[in-house]
Formats: sequence, structure tokens, C-alpha cells
Amino acid sequence: MSVRHLASLRSIGGSHRQPRQLKSNALLARARVVRPFKMTVLSESVQFHSPSLAYETQPPVQNVERMLSVVVSSHHNQLTAIADVWLSEGASSFSIWQRGQLLRSWPAVPGDTREVMLTVPICIDENIVGELRVSGTNGSKQAARLAADADLVAALVKLEDELTLMTAELVNSQDQQVALYRLTRSMSGMVSVEETLNSLLCEAIRLSHASGGYVVFMPASGAPLVLHRPEVMLSEANIWQCFWQAQMDEQEIIVTPTDRSGTRLALAEVPNMLFIPLRTRGVVNVGLGLLKPVHESFSNPDIKLMRAICDHASAQVEKALLYQESFEQARMRTEMELARRVQLDLLPRHLPLVPGLDIYAHTRPAMHVGGDFYDFIQHARRPFFFTVGDVTGKGLSAALLMTMTRTAIHSKASFMPDPTPETVMRQSNADLYDDFTQVGVFATAFIGQYLAAERRIRYANAGHSPVIYRPREGPATMLRADSTAIGVLPASSSRNYTLRITEGDLLIVATDGFSDARDHNNERFDYDRLLALTEEVAQRSAREIVDAIYEAVDTYGSGRPQDDDQTILVIKGASL
Amino acid sequence: MEMQSRVVGDVEVLAIKGRFDNTTAPAVAEWLEKNIGHPRIRMVVNLSGTNFVDSTALATLVQGLKRCRQQSGDLHLCSMERPVYMIFELTRLDKAFNIFVDEAHAIQAFAS
Repeated sequence: MSVRHLASLRSIGGSHRQPRQLKSNALLARARVVRPFKMTVLSESVQFHSPSLAYETQPPVQNVERMLSVVVSSHHNQLTAIADVWLSEGASSFSIWQRGQLLRSWPAVPGDTREVMLTVPICIDENIVGELRVSGTNGSKQAARLAADADLVAALVKLEDELTLMTAELVNSQDQQVALYRLTRSMSGMVSVEETLNSLLCEAIRLSHASGGYVVFMPASGAPLVLHRPEVMLSEANIWQCFWQAQMDEQEIIVTPTDRSGTRLALAEVPNMLFIPLRTRGVVNVGLGLLKPVHESFSNPDIKLMRAICDHASAQVEKALLYQESFEQARMRTEMELARRVQLDLLPRHLPLVPGLDIYAHTRPAMHVGGDFYDFIQHARRPFFFTVGDVTGKGLSAALLMTMTRTAIHSKASFMPDPTPETVMRQSNADLYDDFTQVGVFATAFIGQYLAAERRIRYANAGHSPVIYRPREGPATMLRADSTAIGVLPASSSRNYTLRITEGDLLIVATDGFSDARDHNNERFDYDRLLALTEEVAQRSAREIVDAIYEAVDTYGSGRPQDDDQTILVIKGASL
Repeated sequence: MEMQSRVVGDVEVLAIKGRFDNTTAPAVAEWLEKNIGHPRIRMVVNLSGTNFVDSTALATLVQGLKRCRQQSGDLHLCSMERPVYMIFELTRLDKAFNIFVDEAHAIQAFAS
């Protein structure tokens, strides 16, 4: 049909509708799939066709056929004008038929059907959608004119059909845009990856008219995630196999009842499946699977829309991951800050003044706070006790367990009748063992008691190191623990030992943050360096010794971040 | 860190190589958790390739030991390098664990 012809049709129909150049791709695609009818000759007239025969032998073009009756109603005035011309020129009736049924006749009741009659099919793309009949007239001129009228009606029908298709496509496209907008809106409020993926799954199922689906997520760390909707329709084993295949091939998997080549998997329970891998941060770590029953396949527009949704969802998942990480970091920072406060607030605020002893202690928490502590227990008319301990683990939990350990030792040293390090250690172990077993930790502890009259220190060591003793005359030696840490065995085997602590004798109780400090080659500071350093600084005051040890360890680490808490207590015998 | 597990008779054996510290201990804890399932469980942790253990690693092994003993079983350690054994000595964990010179002795000890 020419553009000029279209223009004349528009003027006849008085139509405001779109010209042909807007014809959609969808229509073209549809036109191609329609198989043309075979024309059959009508017996009465050599140039006319028999639509009824064609209908019986060929499949109907139902959509376009419906359009004929629409055109008959919507262009009634124009068709009446055409009919009036025929009637004024002697025809007894002008009528429009479809599948042997009368759609409209002028006059309203058709004349004698035995009259001479001209019949011309209304053809669209070689398909017969109806026919025009004129009774009471004959001749080749009339036949040609009726054929022209049939072409005109056909053109109107075709335009109407195109318009309907375009409208449908516009509505569909608008629906998809609204869907994408909704998806964007709904996802923008999602703060977790799971919520985002759940939203993706819901929207994808709704828009693709799938009967169900699933989404899988393989995070860089942590547990993988599989979500099903509305219920489990494919086993997780098969879902993961799809995921790994799509990840390896980096392409979609499309399975139909007749084509299983999209996957190497059997997937007997899946008639129609579309699996789209999503890439976030450069790797395929999300997959969307949609399922349809046997008679409903995924169309190309479905697949395109799902791709668009998945592209959008990838960006949202990345955003959610970023949010999660920053949230996690903020949570960690808060926890570490709390842990640091717990640890520092519970430390003694003042160094004890004990005649005959020079005492100094300090702790320096690492970024990931551990469970170090030191404590002094000094009450009138009771012996002076000191402790250094280290609870395994990091963060707030270690800080809380540290307070438990510190409190257990502190209260026993404060209130037990005639406490000694051995009895305090054994009782603390008995109190803490069950709880420590429950949470899977233990605590090393060194408990010392100053025997002022004897100028000796009585101590018990539950798995704690490093502890260095250097008598005035040297050399420095490591004091090994005699029992396991608190919480390892149900009964502690701690014993009391004693050391001389007269002027110049030196006791250093540190935590493994010093001995485990590493240099840029990952080599530990270790015990030998600590012993050598002790020899070097032994003549200094307790405070100076602590400062020198921190400085030496810092120099050794050469700016490397501190891995673990570093806590140190130095007691040096002084003149009375 | 590398982990390799195998079963010798009725003994579950886990070999750990490399640094065994707070970053790698969760994997060992998970293995222990998964495999300490039945009464009289027998386990051997072979530390022949382990060059460092920190307090979290020690806590993980202690927790495994306690769980095994709760099930009337035991967890033996074997093939420690000197620096690692020193840490066990200093913390007196050598008193808590049965420590053997090699895997064969660690397994054999369950029979006696």
C-alpha cells in the first residue's frame, strides 16, 4: 500500500490515527509469522474468489478478522456513502460478509441471493478476512470498482490492526517502564543484599508472568544465599549447578521443552527455564532463575526485560554490599570503642604505693582490642596482690570475659580468708571453668602477693607468659607457668612459688603482645630479645623499664600496626 | 594455612600447615565442630607444618579437647615444631593435651 493511498484512506475515514511509518516492529514480526492463504477460484466468476472455501482449508487470521467488524462499526458513515453510490447506480444491495456471515448490508436486509451478484474478497497480506458483495449488477467495470472498494476496506482494516498493535505495544512498553521504575523505587529502600534480591525475584516473576523462580547469591565471604518464590520448584543442587555453569560460560541458560541444549544438566523437572547470571564487582556472583509451565515459554521481549532488570539489580546489589560493608565497619568501630572503654575504665586509676617496691604498669590496646588486664588489690590489713591476665579472643566479647576474670580474681583476693595466689587461682578457675567452656575461651593469669616481712613475692602462674625475673645480680630468666590457664582444665593445679624482691631484684610480667610483636619480615620479637633487653635496662626504674620495652618493641615493628594488646607490669625491689 | 583431613581406622586426623592464628582458627574450629559428633570420638591434630600458633589457635584446640572429653573421647596433638611446642610448654598446655612425637604414636596411643 502506498503512502498516497494511506493518505486518501485517512481522509475518507476522518481518522486522526498514526501514519504507516510508525508501524511497529512487532507488527512486522507478526506479519512474517502469518502463513499466507492459498487463493481458490470461485465457480461463478473467473475473477472472483471463494472466501468460504479458503476459511475451511486454511487457518483464520483471527486478529485481523476481528478488525473488520470493528471497521464496519467505526466507519459506518463512510461505508454507507460507498453503498449509496452503488444503490444509486442500480445495485439492489451492497453488503460486507465474513466467514459466510453477514456483517452489514445496505439496505439493511439484503436482496434476493439468487440475483446476479459480484463478490470480491477483502485481502490483507494475501489473507482473506471478509468479502464485499453487490447484488443486482454485473460487468467488468463494476467488478473492478468493487475490487477497489475491497482494497479500501482492507486498507482500513490493516490500519486499525496496526493501531491496535501499536497501542498494545505502547501499553506494554509503558508497563515495563513503570515496572522498572517500581523496581528502582522498591530497591532503593533496600539496605541488605537479601532484601534487594527478594525484590528482584518478586518483580521478575511478576513481569515475566513466570510461575516461580529463585535467586542465588555467592558472597565473597560468608554463607551463600538461595531464595525461592513462591516455593521450592527446583532443588538447590540443580540451582547451584545452573549457577556454576552460567558463571563458567558467562551467559544465560534458556531451557524449553524441545530444546535442552542451553544446559548440560538434566533438569527433568523444568519445562521452561530462564537463568540470568548477574555480575557484581566484576564477577558473576548472583543468578536469577525463572520457571514457566510446559506450554508457556519465555518470549524475546521477556528475556530482554529480564536482562534490563538484572542489569539494574546488579548495581543495586553492589550498593547494598557497600552499605553492608560500611555498616559492618561502623559496627566494628563502635564495638572496638566499647571494648577499649571497658578495658581502660577497669584498669587501676592509680599506681599502688607499697613500701619497698617500685611499681609501674601500662596497657596499650591494639586496634582489635584483646582481653588483657592488670589489677592491684590493696586493702588495709590485707596482703597486697597484683595480677596480669590475658583472655583469648578479640573485641567486645574478650573485653567482657576479661572483666569476669578480673572480677573473679579481685573479689577472691579481697575477701577470701588468708588468700594466697594458689588458692585465688584455683577458686577462680573453679568459678570460671563452666562459663569459659561454654564460650570456648581461656585466660592466662599471673597472680602475685607481696610478703612484706620477708621481702618476697609469692606467685602462681596459670599458663601466662612472658614473665621475667632478674635477681639483682642477674641474669634474667623466664618464669614458666606451672599450671594451665584458667578455664582449660576443671581443676587447677596451681602452686605457690616465691621470689626474692629486695633492692634491685626485678620482676616483669607482660602479655604476649610483646613477645609476638613482629617486624617487617614477620619475625617475632620473641623471648630472647626480651631477656636481652631486660639485662640492658635492669638498672633503671620501673617506669623507665616499661618505657624502654615499649620503645624497643615499637622500633622493632618499624611502624607496623600493633596486632595484639600489650600490657606490662614491672615490680622492682626498692629501698625501704 | 592449609588443612588436610583424613580418617585412619576410627581416628579423625587433621593436618594443619602454616600460620594457625586468629584469622585461620575459625576454619579449624568449624572442622572440629563438624567432626566431634559421636561418643568416644578420637582425634589427632598434626601440627608438623605449623610454624606459629597464637592464643586464639590455642583456645580453638582447647575447646576441641574439651568437647572430645565431654564425649568420652580425646584429642591428641603430634609433630610439633620446637617454637610451637615452646608455646605449649610456656602456657602449660602440655599438661592439658597428650602430645606425641609423630602421628603414628598419636594414633597408636588410642589403642592402648
